[in-house]
Amino acid sequence: MRFEEELVELLPRLRRFARGLTRDASDADDLCQAAIERALKSREQWQQGTRLDSWMYRITRNLWIDDRRAAGRRGQHDPIDDAVTQVAGDGAAEVEAGALAGDVDSAMARLPDEQREVVMLVLVEGYAYREAAEILDVPIGTVTSRLARGREALMHILGEAA
Amino acid sequence: MTHDPATIAAFVDGELDDLTARRIEREAANDAALAAEIRRQRELKDRLRSHFAPVLDEPLPDRLTQLLRAEAAVDTSLAERRAARQSRFGGQWGAMQWGAMAAALVLGLTVGMQPWGPASPVAVESGALVASGPLANALDTQLASNQPADAATRIGLSFRAQDGRYCRSFESAAVDGIACREGEGWTLEQTLRGSQASDYRQASSASLAAAAAAMMAGEPLDAEGERAARDAGWKRGG
Repeated sequence: MRFEEELVELLPRLRRFARGLTRDASDADDLCQAAIERALKSREQWQQGTRLDSWMYRITRNLWIDDRRAAGRRGQHDPIDDAVTQVAGDGAAEVEAGALAGDVDSAMARLPDEQREVVMLVLVEGYAYREAAEILDVPIGTVTSRLARGREALMHILGEAA
Repeated sequence: MTHDPATIAAFVDGELDDLTARRIEREAANDAALAAEIRRQRELKDRLRSHFAPVLDEPLPDRLTQLLRAEAAVDTSLAERRAARQSRFGGQWGAMQWGAMAAALVLGLTVGMQPWGPASPVAVESGALVASGPLANALDTQLASNQPADAATRIGLSFRAQDGRYCRSFESAAVDGIACREGEGWTLEQTLRGSQASDYRQASSASLAAAAAAMMAGEPLDAEGERAARDAGWKRGG
């Protein structure tokens, strides 16, 4: 199958992953667009016979991290980060507000980037720990510990009544 | 409940070996706390999955699918589009034709005005632009899979064109482009101003990648195919 056709097949999943990372539909498609452009440009770096999906997820995730860092340098302040620091204090009011909202989006928004990306890869995209570790280029132990923290935080925020 | 949350999570994620997984299943039958914890973890996972599942069924935005149609325009990123606008050699596929013509014109004029040294990468033969000197040499022998980081000419893709010729994309200081094997030489099919001489590098390689994709039959050559084609002298057929 042609490289482009394989990418088209991957697109729905890639959009889902990007949606989880960016938490915004149009940001997610911007991210996918940048990732596709990057992939087309550096297609010779993709080793035939290795998994195209992992490669694309890695490109997408790295572009997103770069973008977040660049936004940080520009001094743009993501209001969601405030929510994270608040909930980190574990105040009963915030937790209750999250549970009341019962909203996966707002719960995901409260996770630090490093936990959110692991949650997306393993719990939503269904990657094995080892595969997620390869995509993120971190040791497998880092994946399991971030995943554990992300899980606990989400269950806490979303409450028991799922 | 004797298992730590990480083990239960690994169980829910299907990360445990069969033996351990079966043991936990058995234990859960008699351990309400363990069963509840497993349920709690599963519910979270199900909830996340069903929350994001609808994205899979959304129609794909045109701007994404169009990028992946080989014959379509190369839609470069914003910065590149800006760079391309400043350049006569635009980032769009249609503009590539003009780019190639403009480059040919520039090179042609230069050929007329000053003698090219023996090391010139480009020559004109029977009215066609062909690779010569170091560029021809690199196209003949250099493998993309195995080229020095500081090579004067960088080979990008090697591929078989729809008309059966072997073609290779390249970047160098003076000129970037796509060259196809004709007889004993390389005809320049596409040329752009050299990427190292300008800041159009990204726009340039995106245009070349798209132009290559449009010419290509099947997949680009992998390292093995590239080596075999080189060893066979880039001869058509076979």
